[in-house]
Amino acid sequence: MPDIAFLALSGLVIVSAIFALEARELIYGAVGLAFSLIGVAGLFILLGAEYLAMFQISVYVGAVVVLILFTIMLVRRESGRIVEEEEPGRLGRAGILVAGLIALAVAGAIVILVPISPEAPEFYGVPLPELGRDLASSYAVPLVILGLVIGATVIGGLTLAKVEREKKPNGTTQ
Amino acid sequence: MWLQALPALQEILNLALRIITSRTFLEIVFFPGFLNVMLSAAFLVWLERKVIARIQLRIGPLYAGLSGILQPIADGVKLMFKEMILPELADAKLLMLCALGLMMLAFAPAAAIPFGEGLVIANMDVGLVYVFAVMSLFPSVILLIGWGSNSKYSFLGGLRSLFQQVAYEIPMWLSVLGIVMLTGTLNLTKIVEAQQRLWFVVPQVLGFAVFFTVALAELERTPFDLPEAETELVMGWMTELSGVPFMLGFLAMYTKLYVMSALITTLFLGGWSGPGFLPQPVWVVLKTFIVASVVFVIRGTFPRVRVDILLRTGWTRLLVLAFANIFVTVALMSIGLGSVWRI
Repeated sequence: MPDIAFLALSGLVIVSAIFALEARELIYGAVGLAFSLIGVAGLFILLGAEYLAMFQISVYVGAVVVLILFTIMLVRRESGRIVEEEEPGRLGRAGILVAGLIALAVAGAIVILVPISPEAPEFYGVPLPELGRDLASSYAVPLVILGLVIGATVIGGLTLAKVEREKKPNGTTQ
Repeated sequence: MWLQALPALQEILNLALRIITSRTFLEIVFFPGFLNVMLSAAFLVWLERKVIARIQLRIGPLYAGLSGILQPIADGVKLMFKEMILPELADAKLLMLCALGLMMLAFAPAAAIPFGEGLVIANMDVGLVYVFAVMSLFPSVILLIGWGSNSKYSFLGGLRSLFQQVAYEIPMWLSVLGIVMLTGTLNLTKIVEAQQRLWFVVPQVLGFAVFFTVALAELERTPFDLPEAETELVMGWMTELSGVPFMLGFLAMYTKLYVMSALITTLFLGGWSGPGFLPQPVWVVLKTFIVASVVFVIRGTFPRVRVDILLRTGWTRLLVLAFANIFVTVALMSIGLGSVWRI
Protein backbone atom coordinates (compact mmCIF):
# COMPACT_ATOMS: atom_id res chain seq x y z
CA MET A 1 0.00 0.00 0.00
CA PRO A 2 2.68 2.60 0.87
CA ASP A 3 4.44 1.46 -2.28
CA ILE A 4 1.46 2.39 -4.45
CA ALA A 5 1.11 5.72 -2.66
CA PHE A 6 4.84 6.34 -3.01
CA LEU A 7 4.82 5.50 -6.72
CA ALA A 8 1.75 7.62 -7.37
CA LEU A 9 3.19 10.60 -5.50
CA SER A 10 6.58 10.24 -7.18
CA GLY A 11 4.81 10.11 -10.53
CA LEU A 12 2.86 13.25 -9.63
CA VAL A 13 6.04 15.07 -8.58
CA ILE A 14 8.00 14.09 -11.69
CA VAL A 15 5.23 14.56 -14.25
CA SER A 16 4.14 17.92 -12.89
CA ALA A 17 7.78 19.07 -12.63
CA ILE A 18 8.29 18.22 -16.31
CA PHE A 19 5.00 19.97 -17.08
CA ALA A 20 6.18 23.02 -15.11
CA LEU A 21 9.30 23.22 -17.26
CA GLU A 22 7.68 22.42 -20.59
CA ALA A 23 4.40 24.35 -20.35
CA ARG A 24 3.89 26.89 -23.12
CA GLU A 25 2.31 29.40 -20.77
CA LEU A 26 4.11 30.52 -17.66
CA ILE A 27 0.88 30.37 -15.65
CA TYR A 28 0.48 26.68 -16.42
CA GLY A 29 4.10 26.23 -15.41
CA ALA A 30 3.30 27.76 -12.02
CA VAL A 31 0.31 25.43 -11.63
CA GLY A 32 2.55 22.48 -12.46
CA LEU A 33 5.03 23.64 -9.86
CA ALA A 34 2.24 23.85 -7.28
CA PHE A 35 1.19 20.25 -7.98
CA SER A 36 4.81 19.11 -7.81
CA LEU A 37 5.26 20.75 -4.40
CA ILE A 38 2.00 19.23 -3.15
CA GLY A 39 3.37 15.84 -4.23
CA VAL A 40 6.52 16.48 -2.21
CA ALA A 41 4.31 17.27 0.79
CA GLY A 42 2.61 13.92 0.25
CA LEU A 43 6.00 12.21 0.29
CA PHE A 44 6.73 13.92 3.61
CA ILE A 45 3.47 12.52 4.99
CA LEU A 46 4.50 9.02 3.87
CA LEU A 47 7.73 9.50 5.82
CA GLY A 48 5.72 10.40 8.94
CA ALA A 49 6.56 14.10 8.95
CA GLU A 50 3.06 15.58 8.85
CA TYR A 51 4.08 18.85 10.42
CA LEU A 52 6.74 19.43 7.79
CA ALA A 53 4.26 18.46 5.05
CA MET A 54 1.72 21.01 6.24
CA PHE A 55 4.32 23.74 6.28
CA GLN A 56 5.56 22.62 2.87
CA ILE A 57 2.04 23.24 1.52
CA SER A 58 1.51 26.43 3.47
CA VAL A 59 4.86 28.05 2.65
CA TYR A 60 5.79 26.70 -0.77
CA VAL A 61 2.37 26.32 -2.39
CA GLY A 62 0.58 28.98 -0.38
CA ALA A 63 3.27 31.64 -0.56
CA VAL A 64 6.02 30.90 -3.11
CA VAL A 65 3.71 29.81 -5.93
CA VAL A 66 1.45 32.78 -5.21
CA LEU A 67 4.49 35.03 -5.46
CA ILE A 68 5.46 33.45 -8.78
CA LEU A 69 1.92 33.80 -10.15
CA PHE A 70 1.81 37.37 -8.99
CA THR A 71 5.15 38.20 -10.60
CA ILE A 72 4.11 36.63 -13.90
CA MET A 73 0.91 38.65 -13.92
CA LEU A 74 2.65 41.90 -13.05
CA VAL A 75 5.48 41.51 -15.56
CA ARG A 76 3.61 40.08 -18.53
CA ARG A 77 0.46 42.10 -18.65
CA GLU A 78 -1.73 41.40 -21.62
CA SER A 79 0.39 40.57 -24.61
CA GLY A 80 2.52 37.53 -25.14
CA ARG A 81 0.86 34.91 -23.05
CA ILE A 82 2.73 32.38 -25.19
CA VAL A 83 6.42 31.96 -24.45
CA GLU A 84 8.65 32.20 -27.49
CA GLU A 85 10.30 28.86 -27.92
CA GLU A 86 13.67 28.40 -29.53
CA GLU A 87 14.63 25.30 -31.43
CA PRO A 88 17.45 23.57 -29.57
CA GLY A 89 20.63 23.90 -31.67
CA ARG A 90 23.33 21.27 -32.09
CA LEU A 91 25.00 22.30 -28.84
CA GLY A 92 21.65 22.17 -27.07
CA ARG A 93 21.00 18.64 -28.28
CA ALA A 94 24.45 17.56 -27.17
CA GLY A 95 23.74 19.11 -23.77
CA ILE A 96 20.49 17.20 -23.44
CA LEU A 97 22.30 13.98 -24.36
CA VAL A 98 25.06 14.57 -21.80
CA ALA A 99 22.57 15.48 -19.09
CA GLY A 100 20.57 12.34 -19.81
CA LEU A 101 23.67 10.14 -19.67
CA ILE A 102 24.76 11.68 -16.37
CA ALA A 103 21.29 11.22 -14.89
CA LEU A 104 21.30 7.59 -16.01
CA ALA A 105 24.74 7.03 -14.50
CA VAL A 106 23.74 8.60 -11.18
CA ALA A 107 20.52 6.59 -11.03
CA GLY A 108 22.43 3.40 -11.80
CA ALA A 109 25.01 4.15 -9.15
CA ILE A 110 22.30 4.79 -6.56
CA VAL A 111 20.50 1.56 -7.44
CA ILE A 112 23.71 -0.46 -7.27
CA LEU A 113 25.40 1.16 -4.29
CA VAL A 114 22.58 2.02 -1.89
CA PRO A 115 20.89 -1.02 -0.39
CA ILE A 116 17.11 -0.66 -0.57
CA SER A 117 15.61 -1.82 2.69
CA PRO A 118 12.09 -3.25 2.34
CA GLU A 119 10.91 -1.76 5.62
CA ALA A 120 11.35 1.86 6.52
CA PRO A 121 12.56 2.52 10.05
CA GLU A 122 9.84 3.54 12.47
CA PHE A 123 10.93 7.05 13.26
CA TYR A 124 13.44 9.60 12.06
CA GLY A 125 14.99 12.49 13.93
CA VAL A 126 13.74 14.18 17.09
CA PRO A 127 10.09 14.49 18.13
CA LEU A 128 8.57 17.90 17.44
CA PRO A 129 7.87 19.01 21.04
CA GLU A 130 11.55 18.43 21.89
CA LEU A 131 12.62 20.36 18.80
CA GLY A 132 10.34 23.24 19.75
CA ARG A 133 11.64 23.27 23.32
CA ASP A 134 15.23 23.31 22.06
CA LEU A 135 14.50 26.12 19.65
CA ALA A 136 12.89 28.18 22.40
CA SER A 137 15.56 27.54 25.03
CA SER A 138 19.09 26.63 23.97
CA TYR A 139 18.85 27.91 20.41
CA ALA A 140 16.84 31.02 21.27
CA VAL A 141 19.60 33.48 20.39
CA PRO A 142 20.31 32.11 16.89
CA LEU A 143 16.56 32.05 16.27
CA VAL A 144 16.16 35.69 17.26
CA ILE A 145 19.15 36.67 15.12
CA LEU A 146 17.64 34.80 12.18
CA GLY A 147 14.39 36.70 12.71
CA LEU A 148 16.31 39.98 12.83
CA VAL A 149 18.09 39.17 9.57
CA ILE A 150 14.79 38.40 7.84
CA GLY A 151 13.22 41.51 9.34
CA ALA A 152 16.12 43.63 8.10
CA THR A 153 15.72 42.12 4.62
CA VAL A 154 12.01 42.95 4.59
CA ILE A 155 12.62 46.52 5.76
CA GLY A 156 15.37 46.92 3.14
CA GLY A 157 13.05 45.68 0.42
CA LEU A 158 10.29 48.01 1.54
CA THR A 159 12.69 50.97 1.55
CA LEU A 160 13.86 50.19 -1.98
CA ALA A 161 10.28 49.85 -3.19
CA LYS A 162 9.32 53.15 -1.58
CA VAL A 163 12.22 55.06 -3.20
CA GLU A 164 11.20 53.61 -6.54
CA ARG A 165 7.67 54.87 -6.16
CA GLU A 166 8.59 58.41 -5.13
CA LYS A 167 10.68 58.87 -8.28
CA LYS A 168 7.62 58.59 -10.51
CA PRO A 169 6.37 61.92 -11.89
CA ASN A 170 2.96 62.92 -10.52
CA GLY A 171 2.64 59.44 -9.10
CA THR A 172 -0.63 58.85 -7.40
CA THR A 173 -0.03 56.64 -4.44
CA GLN A 174 -2.52 53.90 -3.97
CA MET B 1 -61.32 9.96 20.21
CA TRP B 2 -57.85 11.48 19.79
CA LEU B 3 -57.25 11.22 23.52
CA GLN B 4 -57.04 7.47 23.02
CA ALA B 5 -54.56 7.96 20.22
CA LEU B 6 -52.36 10.16 22.42
CA PRO B 7 -50.26 7.40 24.06
CA ALA B 8 -49.57 5.91 20.66
CA LEU B 9 -48.56 9.30 19.33
CA GLN B 10 -46.33 9.80 22.35
CA GLU B 11 -44.71 6.46 21.71
CA ILE B 12 -44.03 7.36 18.09
CA LEU B 13 -42.57 10.71 19.17
CA ASN B 14 -40.39 8.98 21.76
CA LEU B 15 -39.17 6.55 19.17
CA ALA B 16 -38.40 9.35 16.73
CA LEU B 17 -36.51 11.22 19.46
CA ARG B 18 -34.59 8.07 20.32
CA ILE B 19 -33.64 7.57 16.69
CA ILE B 20 -32.59 11.19 16.22
CA THR B 21 -30.44 11.24 19.35
CA SER B 22 -28.95 7.80 18.78
CA ARG B 23 -25.28 7.63 17.95
CA THR B 24 -25.83 5.74 14.71
CA PHE B 25 -28.13 8.41 13.34
CA LEU B 26 -25.72 11.16 14.34
CA GLU B 27 -22.86 9.34 12.75
CA ILE B 28 -24.79 8.91 9.53
CA VAL B 29 -25.78 12.56 9.39
CA PHE B 30 -22.66 14.24 10.71
CA PHE B 31 -19.79 11.85 10.43
CA PRO B 32 -19.36 11.37 6.69
CA GLY B 33 -18.93 15.12 6.69
CA PHE B 34 -19.88 15.57 3.08
CA LEU B 35 -23.64 15.53 3.65
CA ASN B 36 -23.44 17.70 6.72
CA VAL B 37 -21.19 20.32 5.13
CA MET B 38 -23.08 20.37 1.83
CA LEU B 39 -26.53 20.76 3.39
CA SER B 40 -25.29 23.26 5.95
CA ALA B 41 -23.73 25.39 3.20
CA ALA B 42 -27.04 25.36 1.31
CA PHE B 43 -28.85 26.22 4.53
CA LEU B 44 -26.45 29.13 5.10
CA VAL B 45 -27.36 30.56 1.69
CA TRP B 46 -31.01 30.59 2.76
CA LEU B 47 -30.17 31.91 6.23
CA GLU B 48 -28.18 34.79 4.80
CA ARG B 49 -30.97 35.79 2.45
CA LYS B 50 -33.48 35.67 5.29
CA VAL B 51 -31.31 37.64 7.73
CA ILE B 52 -30.44 40.31 5.16
CA ALA B 53 -34.12 40.52 4.20
CA ARG B 54 -35.09 41.11 7.83
CA ILE B 55 -32.50 43.87 8.17
CA GLN B 56 -33.74 45.52 4.98
CA LEU B 57 -37.43 45.10 5.94
CA ARG B 58 -38.10 42.61 3.17
CA ILE B 59 -39.43 39.06 3.33
CA GLY B 60 -36.79 37.17 1.39
CA PRO B 61 -37.31 33.76 -0.23
CA LEU B 62 -40.81 32.57 0.50
CA TYR B 63 -42.33 30.02 -1.86
CA ALA B 64 -39.97 27.03 -2.17
CA GLY B 65 -40.59 24.87 0.85
CA LEU B 66 -41.30 26.10 4.37
CA SER B 67 -40.50 29.81 4.36
CA GLY B 68 -38.35 29.32 1.25
CA ILE B 69 -35.90 26.92 2.87
CA LEU B 70 -35.60 24.90 -0.35
CA GLN B 71 -34.65 27.96 -2.39
CA PRO B 72 -30.88 27.16 -2.50
CA ILE B 73 -31.63 23.69 -3.87
CA ALA B 74 -33.96 25.15 -6.51
CA ASP B 75 -31.24 27.65 -7.43
CA GLY B 76 -28.69 24.86 -7.66
CA VAL B 77 -30.86 22.85 -10.04
CA LYS B 78 -31.50 25.96 -12.10
CA LEU B 79 -27.76 26.74 -12.35
CA MET B 80 -26.99 23.18 -13.38
CA PHE B 81 -29.16 23.53 -16.48
CA LYS B 82 -28.02 27.02 -17.34
CA GLU B 83 -25.82 27.77 -20.32
CA MET B 84 -22.14 28.34 -19.60
CA ILE B 85 -21.26 31.74 -21.07
CA LEU B 86 -17.56 32.53 -21.28
CA PRO B 87 -15.60 35.41 -22.80
CA GLU B 88 -13.95 34.62 -26.12
CA LEU B 89 -10.38 34.29 -24.88
CA ALA B 90 -11.24 32.81 -21.49
CA ASP B 91 -9.47 29.63 -20.47
CA ALA B 92 -12.45 27.30 -20.12
CA LYS B 93 -10.48 24.27 -18.94
CA LEU B 94 -8.59 26.25 -16.33
CA LEU B 95 -11.80 27.85 -15.08
CA MET B 96 -13.57 24.51 -14.70
CA LEU B 97 -10.54 22.99 -12.98
CA CYS B 98 -10.22 25.93 -10.60
CA ALA B 99 -13.94 25.93 -9.76
CA LEU B 100 -13.71 22.23 -8.92
CA GLY B 101 -10.49 22.81 -6.99
CA LEU B 102 -12.12 25.62 -5.01
CA MET B 103 -14.92 23.27 -4.00
CA MET B 104 -12.44 20.58 -2.92
CA LEU B 105 -10.40 23.10 -0.96
CA ALA B 106 -13.53 24.38 0.78
CA PHE B 107 -14.51 20.87 1.84
CA ALA B 108 -11.05 19.70 2.87
CA PRO B 109 -10.72 21.50 6.24
CA ALA B 110 -13.99 19.93 7.44
CA ALA B 111 -12.10 16.64 7.74
CA ALA B 112 -10.17 17.90 10.75
CA ILE B 113 -13.03 19.58 12.62
CA PRO B 114 -14.48 17.44 15.42
CA PHE B 115 -18.27 17.26 15.65
CA GLY B 116 -18.29 15.26 18.87
CA GLU B 117 -16.21 12.85 20.90
CA GLY B 118 -14.74 10.55 18.27
CA LEU B 119 -16.84 12.15 15.53
CA VAL B 120 -13.99 13.45 13.42
CA ILE B 121 -12.91 12.18 10.02
CA ALA B 122 -9.17 12.61 10.51
CA ASN B 123 -7.99 12.96 14.08
CA MET B 124 -4.66 14.54 13.15
CA ASP B 125 -2.02 15.77 15.54
CA VAL B 126 -1.44 18.70 13.19
CA GLY B 127 -5.13 19.45 12.60
CA LEU B 128 -4.86 23.19 13.14
CA VAL B 129 -1.87 23.56 10.82
CA TYR B 130 -3.65 21.39 8.26
CA VAL B 131 -6.68 23.69 8.24
CA PHE B 132 -4.50 26.76 7.81
CA ALA B 133 -2.39 25.08 5.11
CA VAL B 134 -5.53 24.33 3.10
CA MET B 135 -6.79 27.87 3.68
CA SER B 136 -3.54 29.25 2.27
CA LEU B 137 -4.24 27.57 -1.10
CA PHE B 138 -7.36 29.63 -1.77
CA PRO B 139 -5.69 32.84 -3.03
CA SER B 140 -3.77 31.14 -5.81
CA VAL B 141 -6.85 29.33 -7.13
CA ILE B 142 -8.91 32.53 -6.99
CA LEU B 143 -6.13 34.42 -8.76
CA LEU B 144 -6.10 31.76 -11.48
CA ILE B 145 -9.86 32.13 -11.92
CA GLY B 146 -9.44 35.90 -12.18
CA TRP B 147 -6.67 35.51 -14.74
CA GLY B 148 -8.32 32.77 -16.75
CA SER B 149 -11.57 34.73 -17.14
CA ASN B 150 -9.78 37.25 -19.37
CA SER B 151 -11.86 40.07 -17.95
CA LYS B 152 -10.61 43.09 -16.08
CA TYR B 153 -13.24 42.84 -13.36
CA SER B 154 -12.34 39.23 -12.66
CA PHE B 155 -8.64 39.99 -12.73
CA LEU B 156 -8.93 42.96 -10.35
CA GLY B 157 -11.12 40.90 -8.04
CA GLY B 158 -8.59 38.07 -8.06
CA LEU B 159 -5.73 40.45 -7.31
CA ARG B 160 -7.63 42.08 -4.45
CA SER B 161 -8.49 38.67 -3.03
CA LEU B 162 -4.83 37.68 -3.18
CA PHE B 163 -3.60 40.82 -1.43
CA GLN B 164 -6.21 40.57 1.25
CA GLN B 165 -5.83 36.90 2.05
CA VAL B 166 -2.03 36.91 1.99
CA ALA B 167 -1.88 40.01 4.20
CA TYR B 168 -4.31 38.56 6.73
CA GLU B 169 -2.75 35.13 6.92
CA ILE B 170 -0.04 36.29 9.34
CA PRO B 171 -2.41 37.67 12.00
CA MET B 172 -4.47 34.50 11.51
CA TRP B 173 -1.55 32.25 12.45
CA LEU B 174 -0.49 34.49 15.34
CA SER B 175 -3.97 34.90 16.83
CA VAL B 176 -4.35 31.19 17.59
CA LEU B 177 -0.86 30.84 19.03
CA GLY B 178 -2.17 31.61 22.50
CA ILE B 179 -4.46 28.57 22.40
CA VAL B 180 -1.62 26.35 21.26
CA MET B 181 0.53 27.66 24.10
CA LEU B 182 -2.20 27.00 26.69
CA THR B 183 -3.09 23.50 25.49
CA GLY B 184 0.29 22.40 24.20
CA THR B 185 -1.25 20.67 21.17
CA LEU B 186 -2.31 21.33 17.58
CA ASN B 187 -4.91 18.56 17.64
CA LEU B 188 -8.37 20.13 17.30
CA THR B 189 -10.06 17.34 19.28
CA LYS B 190 -7.71 17.90 22.20
CA ILE B 191 -8.21 21.67 21.94
CA VAL B 192 -11.96 21.11 22.38
CA GLU B 193 -11.35 18.70 25.28
CA ALA B 194 -9.25 21.36 26.99
CA GLN B 195 -12.21 23.76 26.95
CA GLN B 196 -14.57 21.63 29.03
CA ARG B 197 -14.04 23.88 32.05
CA LEU B 198 -13.84 27.29 30.39
CA TRP B 199 -14.14 28.27 26.74
CA PHE B 200 -11.15 29.94 25.19
CA VAL B 201 -13.16 33.01 24.29
CA VAL B 202 -12.65 34.20 27.89
CA PRO B 203 -8.87 34.03 28.33
CA GLN B 204 -8.20 34.59 24.63
CA VAL B 205 -10.64 37.43 24.03
CA LEU B 206 -8.05 39.42 22.06
CA GLY B 207 -7.17 36.41 19.97
CA PHE B 208 -10.87 35.79 19.36
CA ALA B 209 -11.41 39.37 18.17
CA VAL B 210 -8.39 39.19 15.85
CA PHE B 211 -9.33 35.77 14.50
CA PHE B 212 -12.92 36.77 13.85
CA THR B 213 -11.81 39.89 11.96
CA VAL B 214 -9.31 37.88 9.97
CA ALA B 215 -11.97 35.29 9.21
CA LEU B 216 -14.17 38.01 7.76
CA ALA B 217 -11.30 39.07 5.50
CA GLU B 218 -10.43 35.51 4.50
CA LEU B 219 -14.06 34.85 3.64
CA GLU B 220 -14.33 38.10 1.67
CA ARG B 221 -17.31 39.16 3.73
CA THR B 222 -18.36 42.71 4.60
CA PRO B 223 -16.61 44.92 5.70
CA PHE B 224 -13.77 43.26 3.78
CA ASP B 225 -15.67 42.26 0.63
CA LEU B 226 -13.39 44.27 -1.66
CA PRO B 227 -12.75 41.33 -4.04
CA GLU B 228 -16.47 41.21 -4.73
CA ALA B 229 -17.30 44.92 -4.49
CA GLU B 230 -20.41 44.87 -6.64
CA THR B 231 -20.52 48.61 -7.29
CA GLU B 232 -16.98 48.58 -8.72
CA LEU B 233 -16.23 45.09 -9.93
CA VAL B 234 -19.65 43.64 -10.85
CA MET B 235 -19.00 40.43 -8.90
CA GLY B 236 -15.23 40.34 -8.53
CA TRP B 237 -13.48 37.16 -9.60
CA MET B 238 -16.83 35.42 -10.08
CA THR B 239 -17.97 37.89 -12.76
CA GLU B 240 -17.34 35.68 -15.76
CA LEU B 241 -18.38 32.40 -14.16
CA SER B 242 -21.78 31.10 -15.14
CA GLY B 243 -23.75 27.90 -14.93
CA VAL B 244 -22.00 25.05 -13.16
CA PRO B 245 -18.65 26.80 -12.47
CA PHE B 246 -20.54 29.69 -10.90
CA MET B 247 -22.51 27.29 -8.73
CA LEU B 248 -19.30 25.59 -7.64
CA GLY B 249 -17.56 28.87 -6.85
CA PHE B 250 -20.59 30.29 -5.04
CA LEU B 251 -21.18 27.15 -2.99
CA ALA B 252 -17.45 26.89 -2.26
CA MET B 253 -17.50 30.32 -0.63
CA TYR B 254 -20.46 29.34 1.55
CA THR B 255 -18.80 26.04 2.40
CA LYS B 256 -15.72 27.99 3.40
CA LEU B 257 -17.92 30.21 5.56
CA TYR B 258 -19.41 27.15 7.27
CA VAL B 259 -16.01 25.56 7.83
CA MET B 260 -14.51 28.82 9.12
CA SER B 261 -17.43 29.31 11.53
CA ALA B 262 -17.02 25.72 12.68
CA LEU B 263 -13.33 26.42 13.22
CA ILE B 264 -14.15 29.50 15.33
CA THR B 265 -16.58 27.32 17.31
CA THR B 266 -13.94 24.65 17.79
CA LEU B 267 -11.15 27.00 18.79
CA PHE B 268 -12.92 29.57 20.91
CA LEU B 269 -16.50 28.54 21.71
CA GLY B 270 -15.95 25.13 23.24
CA GLY B 271 -16.75 22.99 20.21
CA TRP B 272 -19.15 20.23 21.17
CA SER B 273 -19.29 21.13 24.88
CA GLY B 274 -22.73 22.19 26.08
CA PRO B 275 -25.60 21.04 28.32
CA GLY B 276 -26.37 17.38 27.85
CA PHE B 277 -29.99 17.61 26.65
CA LEU B 278 -28.79 18.01 23.06
CA PRO B 279 -26.31 15.65 21.41
CA GLN B 280 -22.78 16.93 20.84
CA PRO B 281 -22.87 17.43 17.04
CA VAL B 282 -26.04 19.50 17.37
CA TRP B 283 -24.20 21.88 19.69
CA VAL B 284 -21.37 22.29 17.18
CA VAL B 285 -23.76 22.99 14.30
CA LEU B 286 -25.88 25.33 16.43
CA LYS B 287 -22.88 27.39 17.52
CA THR B 288 -21.59 27.41 13.97
CA PHE B 289 -24.87 28.80 12.67
CA ILE B 290 -24.85 31.46 15.39
CA VAL B 291 -21.33 32.56 14.35
CA ALA B 292 -22.41 32.60 10.70
CA SER B 293 -25.49 34.67 11.61
CA VAL B 294 -23.23 37.26 13.23
CA VAL B 295 -21.29 37.41 9.95
CA PHE B 296 -24.57 37.98 8.08
CA VAL B 297 -25.71 40.72 10.44
CA ILE B 298 -22.34 42.44 9.97
CA ARG B 299 -22.91 42.27 6.22
CA GLY B 300 -26.28 43.94 6.62
CA THR B 301 -25.07 46.75 8.84
CA PHE B 302 -21.49 47.73 7.96
CA PRO B 303 -20.07 49.64 4.96
CA ARG B 304 -17.10 48.40 2.95
CA VAL B 305 -13.58 49.53 3.92
CA ARG B 306 -11.05 51.10 1.56
CA VAL B 307 -8.07 49.10 0.32
CA ASP B 308 -5.48 51.13 2.23
CA ILE B 309 -7.49 50.93 5.46
CA LEU B 310 -7.78 47.18 5.01
CA LEU B 311 -4.03 46.74 4.61
CA ARG B 312 -3.16 49.20 7.38
CA THR B 313 -5.57 47.47 9.77
CA GLY B 314 -4.00 44.12 8.96
CA TRP B 315 -0.39 45.11 9.36
CA THR B 316 -0.56 47.60 12.22
CA ARG B 317 -3.60 46.86 14.35
CA LEU B 318 -4.34 43.15 14.00
CA LEU B 319 -0.69 42.11 14.13
CA VAL B 320 -0.09 44.19 17.26
CA LEU B 321 -3.25 42.84 18.90
CA ALA B 322 -2.22 39.28 18.08
CA PHE B 323 1.17 39.85 19.71
CA ALA B 324 -0.53 41.46 22.71
CA ASN B 325 -2.65 38.32 22.98
CA ILE B 326 0.50 36.19 23.07
CA PHE B 327 1.93 38.34 25.88
CA VAL B 328 -1.34 38.10 27.84
CA THR B 329 -1.18 34.33 27.44
CA VAL B 330 2.40 34.27 28.71
CA ALA B 331 1.30 36.33 31.72
CA LEU B 332 -1.58 33.93 32.38
CA MET B 333 0.77 30.97 32.25
CA SER B 334 3.38 32.59 34.46
CA ILE B 335 0.86 33.17 37.28
CA GLY B 336 -0.06 29.50 37.08
CA LEU B 337 -3.46 29.71 35.38
CA GLY B 338 -2.27 27.63 32.44
CA SER B 339 -3.08 24.39 34.24
CA VAL B 340 -6.83 25.07 33.85
CA TRP B 341 -6.67 24.22 30.15
CA ARG B 342 -3.78 21.80 30.06
CA ILE B 343 -4.84 18.23 29.37
